[in-house]
Amino acid sequence: MDPILILQAVVSGVLASGLYALVSVGLALAIGVIGIVNFAHGEFFMIGAFLTYQLFVSFGVDPVLSLLFVAPALFLLGAVLYRTTIQYVLEAPELNQMLLTFGIGIVLQNLALLIWGGDPVSISGIAYRSVGFRIGGISVGLVSLVSFAISIVLVGSLYLALSRSRTGRAMRAVAQNRIGASLVGLEVNRVYLVAFALSALLAGIGGVMIAVIQSPTPTIGLAFTLKAFSIVVLAGLGNIRGILAASLVVALAESLVATLVPNGGTLSNAVFFAIIFLALVWRSRRTA
Amino acid sequence: MSPNVRNRLRDLIPVLLFAVALWFLPDLLRSWSGRASVSYLSLVTNGLGLAVLALSWDILARTGQLSLAHAAFYGAGAYVTAILARLEVGPLWLGIPAAGAFAVLLALGLGVVTLRLKGIYFAIATLAFTEVLRSAVRQLPTSFAGGSAGMNVAPLFRPAFDPETMERWEIAFLRNEGYFLLYAGLLLLTIGLSLWTRRSRLRPAFTAVRTNEEVAGVMGVHPARMKLLAFALSSLSVGMLGAIHAHRVGSVIPEGAFAVSTTVFALVTPIFGGLYTTLGPILGAGVLAGIEETLKRNLADGYLIGYGLVLVLSILFMPRGIVGMVRGIARRRRAARAGVTSEGGEA
Repeated sequence: MDPILILQAVVSGVLASGLYALVSVGLALAIGVIGIVNFAHGEFFMIGAFLTYQLFVSFGVDPVLSLLFVAPALFLLGAVLYRTTIQYVLEAPELNQMLLTFGIGIVLQNLALLIWGGDPVSISGIAYRSVGFRIGGISVGLVSLVSFAISIVLVGSLYLALSRSRTGRAMRAVAQNRIGASLVGLEVNRVYLVAFALSALLAGIGGVMIAVIQSPTPTIGLAFTLKAFSIVVLAGLGNIRGILAASLVVALAESLVATLVPNGGTLSNAVFFAIIFLALVWRSRRTA
Repeated sequence: MSPNVRNRLRDLIPVLLFAVALWFLPDLLRSWSGRASVSYLSLVTNGLGLAVLALSWDILARTGQLSLAHAAFYGAGAYVTAILARLEVGPLWLGIPAAGAFAVLLALGLGVVTLRLKGIYFAIATLAFTEVLRSAVRQLPTSFAGGSAGMNVAPLFRPAFDPETMERWEIAFLRNEGYFLLYAGLLLLTIGLSLWTRRSRLRPAFTAVRTNEEVAGVMGVHPARMKLLAFALSSLSVGMLGAIHAHRVGSVIPEGAFAVSTTVFALVTPIFGGLYTTLGPILGAGVLAGIEETLKRNLADGYLIGYGLVLVLSILFMPRGIVGMVRGIARRRRAARAGVTSEGGEA
């Protein structure tokens, strides 16, 4: 096997892991702070991508600039969804919470299908989309590189914010002990709202990136929900540093299978889901 | 009459009435609406299929397992019968019980492996299982299972055309009638399985496993055994449904046979109709099949949005479904008449 090919797969995998970490960290925030496993998380990601596409097609807005619009828009969407739906199932059985977010996901996905149809869309004609570097036979796309850098910076900032800032500490307090937090004067519901909206925002930023890197369809959301969830599970719930490592493992596995196995492109998703399945089963055996 | 016999009759009479109604429905439709009855019959058949999907999912949910693998059993059933039909081993109809048996084996395997997973972890694992199975089927040799393009499946019914006594459309009617009766029979079987778990000692056992596994164990219920039993019962009907459906539409493809939407239908319908009941999923299927048909006619992509909205609204405003809501109203009425406030359990 050609070593350059393997190295190329490793580099691609590492670069892809940034986006995975960004999307997963948002989901981890929702699970860790609010205790809601959000099945609609990938749909925030998808909506970020399609808003970027629409802004580009309708107004010629550059995807980098559209971040300034997409990020607040997703924050708002998250906040509205929290206030109108999530807030009312906080005390409900886990089954109901799961099904509620599953339903929200179906609505968002099909809304997107109604608006944009089922075909992939792509943002063509931006100069930097095709810019790349070649170092010793390995090519690196500028967009992938910058996306990776932005993702890592965002995940790092979130980590710092959770440990240093007032809001971040409030979130951790609420996550640890909801009643205790409310006794010392924290507005729990408000903290939840901010955490949920922030989680949507992070996924939305990931969506902006995927809109430039790939040609997404409105159905990418569910796959990303699952990927993000499996990364969160691999990392261990509530462990942000673990998410970076887990994203790396998952992205590398995907990229290597796609490169090394013949006909691996179609197989890489299956490998991914096999990893999730085995990780879950293995964890359940070990803890029991 | 002893209360036991009376209870049996209370189940038996509505089921028998339902069966009789189903038996006469095709002929009634034909004499009422003539040629249009071909498509009416097909619509009702879709509704019956949805009811089988929903009720069989609910049987598993009664043990507290929220499965997202219903599409896996459905797709596996479709592929089993398609492959058997292609290999030409035995008569075509044999594919249907074979599909059911294979689905049960698959469910037992999955059940054993995921026995210790709970709640969301179980849900995700079953969803991942479905995706892996779909990819695996796509990777099977094309000569064996058709690859990603899928394969054709021979129809079960080939009514002969007799120009003396029949009009052209009556062939389609006879074919649809055949599938309708198969779906109806499968629904009756599923109702039987469902009533068995509701009226025997399985009911408290399932409920105990759902509410608290540890306590269930202490009370002498074997949680693993109960979960596997529910898994097997649940997958039996879906596997056969997938098989009959494959013959009905005449083809299988991996994307269609293992579609996430099958799982969505299977879980939204009982939640909308009323979880953990026999009537709820059937009632829900009737209403939702109507809504779906209307939406499908008007929206090409994205008609599933109706299911999403129904799911969200049911959870927020009607968490116990139609059946739960109606029972709640009836109970409050009775309580108001008796002048006491009573706290009734689920029924």
